Amino acid sequence: MTTTFRRHPDLRLAALDGEGVVLHLGSRKYFTVSETGVAILDLLEQPRALDQLVAGLMERYDVDAAHADQSVRAFLDRCRSAGLILESES
Amino acid sequence: MPGARGVYPLAIPPVIQPGIHVSSADPALAAAVLPWVAALELDPPAPVTLEIVVGTPGPDPGEPPTFSQPHLSLWTDQRGARLTWDGAPAEALLPGTERRARVTLSPAALDRLDDCCRVFLLGVVILLLRRAGWHHVHAATAIDPKGRGWLFAGNAMAGKSTTAAWCATRGWAVGTDDTAFLAAAGSHVEVVAARGPLALRDGGKALLSRPDGTPLPSRGKTGYRPEDLGGRWAPRIRPDIIAFSAVGSGATHVGPISPRETLAALVRWSAWVLFEPSLADEHLGLLSSLAGQTRSLRLTLGPDLFAPGDRLMELVP
Repeated sequence: MTTTFRRHPDLRLAALDGEGVVLHLGSRKYFTVSETGVAILDLLEQPRALDQLVAGLMERYDVDAAHADQSVRAFLDRCRSAGLILESES
Repeated sequence: MPGARGVYPLAIPPVIQPGIHVSSADPALAAAVLPWVAALELDPPAPVTLEIVVGTPGPDPGEPPTFSQPHLSLWTDQRGARLTWDGAPAEALLPGTERRARVTLSPAALDRLDDCCRVFLLGVVILLLRRAGWHHVHAATAIDPKGRGWLFAGNAMAGKSTTAAWCATRGWAVGTDDTAFLAAAGSHVEVVAARGPLALRDGGKALLSRPDGTPLPSRGKTGYRPEDLGGRWAPRIRPDIIAFSAVGSGATHVGPISPRETLAALVRWSAWVLFEPSLADEHLGLLSSLAGQTRSLRLTLGPDLFAPGDRLMELVP
């Protein structure tokens, strides 16, 4: 069983010089997002598993797997609590 | 006997001019609202219409408003938007993304028509103009002596009006102290000003040493036109600088603000972006473009701003 993640359809992302702001049109809240957060949200335009997100981050940045995994998990936790992502099992 | 028929001007087919139109079965009511609309001096890229009737607004929906700000409550869903005023019974219904609003004003609202226009109908116009491609931002606008466009954003006590009036006293062109609209202009974003008095509290009047002006009793303020203060009116600017202002007690100074903070602050001062999902993408795109084309800074306003000279031009040469 693999868990895949994708953006909530109510999510809107505006990025500028790498950083960005995320709006959730359903909850009517907004959040600022770091450069790596924008990178992960870019990847989540398509449904992705955790290992795909980690690999995607490692392609973009000079970061080791352990650090990338930790960053992705922490970011997904924050997105989950804010209702910014959807998860499905396959 | 029919009158003589003119030659049909084929080269000039019938057109609908852009603008803010007012229609009402009561000609006197339309005539009373039109001067307020005309005074805004707004010429949107597509026409919008206020259809005004006198009557009893419908009851509020059972659910809480989507958005509330002082004096206004907004409900939105896929069917459109509904805006109400707390000053007297009044509602506006905007179907879907149509550029028309059916406005019902109670007799009590008519008794307070000046406030009703300034607060409620302005809110309706803001919603309508979104549908014509102009997106509201709560900010003051000005053009400095070097021709740079400035956008001053901040909350109600951030000194926007006093700063706008100060700019006029230094010969800057000033658009608005409060109500502005983002408009796409090719690859850039321009900001259109709704014409209105620069409204100063007594503290601002004292800082600018201006005992004159037009009393605005219902607001507890005094109004000035930029021309009254030595400036001129700027109906539209192309922002080069965004200043997020706040009032401080020390010397006036500027500081940096990151792109992420800039975008977040622009969203904060453009609350409507969040409340009508069908228009959010366009609005957010304009905010992103605006942040990308401008230099952003934090501006803390101190008493030294009001000393002779142009302190802002010294700080941001």
